[in-house]
Amino acid sequence: MPRLMDMGLDQLNSLLLEMANLSQSAVVASIEAYSKGGKGAEVRQMSDKLQTLHRQVSDLSMEMIARYQPVATDLRFLKACMEISYGFFRYGRYALDITQVLDMFGDLKACDRTFVVNTAKKTEEMIRMSSEAFARRDVEMARRIPAMDDAVDESYRENVRKTIQGRANLKCSMSAALILRYLERIADHATYIAESVEYITTGIEPTK
Amino acid sequence: MSLPASLIGVQPKFETKGLKAGFKSTWVLNGIDIKIPPNRVTAVMGPSGCGKTTFVRCLNRLHELTPGAVVEGEALLDGEDIYDRNTDPVAVRRRIGMVFQKPNPFPTMSIYHNVVAGLALNGERNKKKLDHAAEQSLRGAYLWDEVKDKLTDSGASLSGGQQQRLCIARALAVEPEVILMDEPCSALDPTATAKIEELITQLKKDYTIIIVTHNMQQASRVADYTTFFYLGKMIEFGETADLFENPKEELTERYITGKFG
Repeated sequence: MPRLMDMGLDQLNSLLLEMANLSQSAVVASIEAYSKGGKGAEVRQMSDKLQTLHRQVSDLSMEMIARYQPVATDLRFLKACMEISYGFFRYGRYALDITQVLDMFGDLKACDRTFVVNTAKKTEEMIRMSSEAFARRDVEMARRIPAMDDAVDESYRENVRKTIQGRANLKCSMSAALILRYLERIADHATYIAESVEYITTGIEPTK
Repeated sequence: MSLPASLIGVQPKFETKGLKAGFKSTWVLNGIDIKIPPNRVTAVMGPSGCGKTTFVRCLNRLHELTPGAVVEGEALLDGEDIYDRNTDPVAVRRRIGMVFQKPNPFPTMSIYHNVVAGLALNGERNKKKLDHAAEQSLRGAYLWDEVKDKLTDSGASLSGGQQQRLCIARALAVEPEVILMDEPCSALDPTATAKIEELITQLKKDYTIIIVTHNMQQASRVADYTTFFYLGKMIEFGETADLFENPKEELTERYITGKFG
């Protein structure tokens, strides 16, 4: 017989899976807009929807805690849900930030965008893996994500070093620096999500 | 079973080694090894029939009063076996007080006499000493302000929650070292329960407390350490927060998440 709490837990799981798909689409759309010169107009809608879903997850998690006083796996799942939901919401928000860079800087066709696009591919892979690790509670997959974060961090730092040297076009280097910063933050959130997946399954907190 | 990290090097107040208890040929407890730390609240939880009440009744030698009861193993209070043949069970019970599931004040006695009953039974006749003990114990049980003007009223005239605190005061009056509580709030409403729980957290400064509870939320609120019993065995013992957030044993996980049976 299912427990009363199970209905709410299933609902949370569905909300998070919806957020996983939506946030992945938002980041892919924003990078596509950057690489192909589009506007990424649909990204704002996705970002707003992610914010709404994040609030729903928070409210439902709090309600579940108040009503059922969950413990053990249930408690860890709820705690992780709030962290993971925030991560998916942030993916959407950074995707929106990327499109806002495109609005601010205008046409970037003259810039060499290869470095940013390559870093974005790594980040998109991290997003995909963090979403899949959550969906499948795949700890092994989750554990591979932090190492990928190091690579994105290094790309960000490498671009900063190049920018400081000041050889590149200012518009190109500034837009790249901002977008790489957002990608670097997205990669951080992918790592937090991966850690939360491990926490749900094993109870081991990253700080412990 | 490994000891919680916070208890390594701590001299236990109570320790049982291979404690078995039952009735005639049926064992209810099947070899309990536990170290109960001093001045902490330790909760014992588990499904009905798991042996938790039998366990606490063994700790002050009440179990043996039931016809056919048997006990094996050791129960060490400050390192001394309370089941040693030279140990007086009455002396043990004086050191280890007990509060039961239902408030059980002596119905024909006044509030005052309920509190000092244990002392009087032990031959204390000095009125000043009894008065002092009554006040101190009622203060200790956070009941003094509510009853100081009606000490001659019957103990049965109090509310359920007050009666339970009266029973706690009665236990405190004989100056025990350990207080055993067997589901002390199961017959109380939420307000009275909250008062008893506040009292428990105050009392641990001076006493070692072992509480049997069916209510996991109560264990998580009041206990520093929690142990889970199942079919007469101790399945897990750990710091309460750890046990409820990340139980080490599958059986504990299933029980506390309601996936049992």
